[in-house]
Amino acid sequence: MKLLKIGISGVRGIVGETITPDLVMNFACAFGTYLNSKRVLLARDTRISGPMLHSACLSALISTGCDVLDLGVCPTPILQHTVKKLRAKGAISISAGHNDIEWNALTFINQEGTYLNAFQGEEVLDIYHLGKFKKVSSEKLGRIKSVDNYLDVYFKSLKRFLDAQAIRKSGLKVVIDPCNGAGAKIIDQLSCFLNFELVPVNNEPNGYFPHDPEPRPRNAQQVASIIKVVKADVGFVLNSDVSRVSLVAEDGETLSEEYTFPLIASYYLKKKPGAVISNHSTSAMVDDVARENNCPLVKIRVGQSFSIQSLVNEAGVIAGEGSGGVAIAEFQPAFDGFLAMGMVLETMARTKKKISQIIAELPRYHRVKEKIYCPPPKVHSVVNEVQKLFPEQKIDSSDGIKIEFEEGWLHIRASATEPMIRVIAEDRSKDKAQERAEKAIDFISTLIK
Amino acid sequence: MKKATSLKISISGVRGVVGESLTPQLASSFAQAFGTYIGRGAVVVGQDSRVSGTMVKKAVISGLLAVGCQPIEIGICPIPSIQIFTKETEARGGIAVTASHNPKEWNGMKFISGEGLFLNHHQVEEFLDIYHQGEFSRIGVNEYKSPKSEENPTVPHLRKLLSYLNVELIRSKKFKVAADCANGAGAVLVPEFLDALGCRKILINDVPDGSFAHHPEPLPENITGLCRTVVEQGADVGFVQDADADRLAVVNEKGDPLGEEMTLILASKHVLSKNPGAVVVNLSASQAIDDIAREFNVRVFRTKIGEINVVDQVLALEGKTAIAGEGNGGVILPDIHPCRDSFTAMGLILESMASSGKKVSELQEQVPKYHIIKDKIDGTQEEAFGIIRQLKRNYSSQEISLLDGLKIQFKDSWFHIRPSNTEPIIRLLAEARTKKQAENLLSKFKKEISEII
Repeated sequence: MKLLKIGISGVRGIVGETITPDLVMNFACAFGTYLNSKRVLLARDTRISGPMLHSACLSALISTGCDVLDLGVCPTPILQHTVKKLRAKGAISISAGHNDIEWNALTFINQEGTYLNAFQGEEVLDIYHLGKFKKVSSEKLGRIKSVDNYLDVYFKSLKRFLDAQAIRKSGLKVVIDPCNGAGAKIIDQLSCFLNFELVPVNNEPNGYFPHDPEPRPRNAQQVASIIKVVKADVGFVLNSDVSRVSLVAEDGETLSEEYTFPLIASYYLKKKPGAVISNHSTSAMVDDVARENNCPLVKIRVGQSFSIQSLVNEAGVIAGEGSGGVAIAEFQPAFDGFLAMGMVLETMARTKKKISQIIAELPRYHRVKEKIYCPPPKVHSVVNEVQKLFPEQKIDSSDGIKIEFEEGWLHIRASATEPMIRVIAEDRSKDKAQERAEKAIDFISTLIK
Repeated sequence: MKKATSLKISISGVRGVVGESLTPQLASSFAQAFGTYIGRGAVVVGQDSRVSGTMVKKAVISGLLAVGCQPIEIGICPIPSIQIFTKETEARGGIAVTASHNPKEWNGMKFISGEGLFLNHHQVEEFLDIYHQGEFSRIGVNEYKSPKSEENPTVPHLRKLLSYLNVELIRSKKFKVAADCANGAGAVLVPEFLDALGCRKILINDVPDGSFAHHPEPLPENITGLCRTVVEQGADVGFVQDADADRLAVVNEKGDPLGEEMTLILASKHVLSKNPGAVVVNLSASQAIDDIAREFNVRVFRTKIGEINVVDQVLALEGKTAIAGEGNGGVILPDIHPCRDSFTAMGLILESMASSGKKVSELQEQVPKYHIIKDKIDGTQEEAFGIIRQLKRNYSSQEISLLDGLKIQFKDSWFHIRPSNTEPIIRLLAEARTKKQAENLLSKFKKEISEII
């Protein structure tokens, strides 16, 4: 079975297997045809396969008559910010985010700087499937230009949005692990703009991932091992395109990526109350934080595209996911790791608390996150079957199967990016969460056999 | 007549019309096939000055990366410089993004071996099999390379030129040279080359932006601007290159274009006078070559049309060739590199002027006089062969050659008809002692052809 995932916001697959120059060009041609000869931005993360996809996109986009502003290696949230600043009609981000090195992906971004919504995405897919791409003659081919100082523009915006003075005054020392991804070196600029002392780990933009580029405790070991030694105040672990962040406390505790969103929401909603956008796989900590601040809570399907659409459509103030992605509407409608780091630092600076204290004040839940391989054609039917396990419970099937319990929940859904079924259980009681997750996994295993 | 196709895949590589047949997908598939064929390693990627060069080049780079090759981007560069750079840097091969002299809506790819030579028939066949089978090398995710760029790709070429030519002698003459680079790739090396030869230079169309102020084929009707410049500036000689700088035409000091045939004739006469040896030319090069070879008592080898056929013969003769080339202004000097090279041609003409002390018009007087007319009609290969079959019957009593198309030899004139390898057209050539005779010969055959069709 070949691994290829085509969705409304892009295409993701295994390089050399499903991600070939032809596939990349066909998708980029479809997107260029959809944009109809307008200005488009292009950026990639540092993955070793990146230049292959990048060259293919350049050739394909200009063949449809689109002018390309090429940002080279650039984190996706900065690309999204630059789309609006340069009034481009759209952008392609070449990055597989948290997936490991075998993967790469194209993500399509609209002129608002957000992932394509369902209507836009369907249109691009229709063009792709039809295979009739716009072709222009030599003199109408698009041109490729590079862009300078977009990083400065971005960081100036970010600095204006944050309480930079408070951050500067608190003299924080911060360990950041960008995993040799798109955030490498660029974090140096973040530290200059926000005036904190940076201790970088894996800060070479060379695409060699020393661990999976997924921000979670398992991948935070390097940061955890030095944080006490260098006496830093907080540690951050980034994914390869800096859309997600997980935290490490000053005492070396690697915190679940689930904390990033509720931590920021808890601080930010006090400054700016409003609707909070979450999803069914995200910890109930967020639900509790919204309730405490008397803010409405909206739960939508898992995925940045849905989350951000909802943030825009529901006029929410903050959106996020348990995977460590956070967006603040007032800054930009995108999951943004730089913003998330900045907000955590601001929280620490303004509350004058250690990160371990801030975490301790959040509602405590126990979570079990597992994933099981499942052949793609079976995924959705297997997920549906799980309902039968809990006939008594209240079930929400708007995104996979979510089963509510008194002090917790169990969520089973097909991954949007891999041939996997994700099982997430959360409860006040660690044992209950564990027990439910195991029950579901055993059941799914028998179904797959 | 059927509509001509806009894609030609042939011994000379791939050519197509951008916006129609020449898509990113096509270019990257060919690059993947080529990378699969030559194996992993460095592959030089150069381009002529066409505006579509970037689109094709990026697709080529993507294809090469996908099969584990290391693209070395050298940007806009004369074709002979690309070939020599490929050989000198010991790359696995090279891809030149060019459509040679085709009009500007075209572009294409030429494939170069590690020897710096275009793929020969057998190699092209093997390579096209890989393309058609569509099974390209698979590599592990850690084996992807990142493109590198090289800033001075013309250096090895220039070094070879200057070490072959009598630079001292040419420099001493301080020639005034007008050069028309046709907005092609030649513009990146012409100024440096002429400076090195101590020439006072007047350059026109010397921005390599593919704008093609005139059709990028060095024919007399395309170079009126250069002819005027030569007269106005009192230049000793005028040179015009084609878009990828492998071919050269000459204008004499009076501003008269010599016709592209004359480039090889003058160069041959000069080279043979220094170094008598075999001459290798294609079937449709002028009979003047035979006359000159007789003068120096050397053999002429005739080959099929197409640079690689001439080069193959040169290689087969293992160093016995003094000079080779084509009537279209493509001069090949094996002592520099077995490839067509407008810079070699320029250097030889200048050296000939310097050593003889003669003006171009005087050199022109010294070679046998023939007049060649080149014409073309629209038509596919199949239609061409229909015509050839009939003409062969009509002229069975004449001396004919079927080496490439049909060449009918008369006493001191000939007619040659063959389908183009690169465009959906049929080429017609007639050569005779005078222009009038050549015209008559051509129109006689054109009439006959229209009756056959």
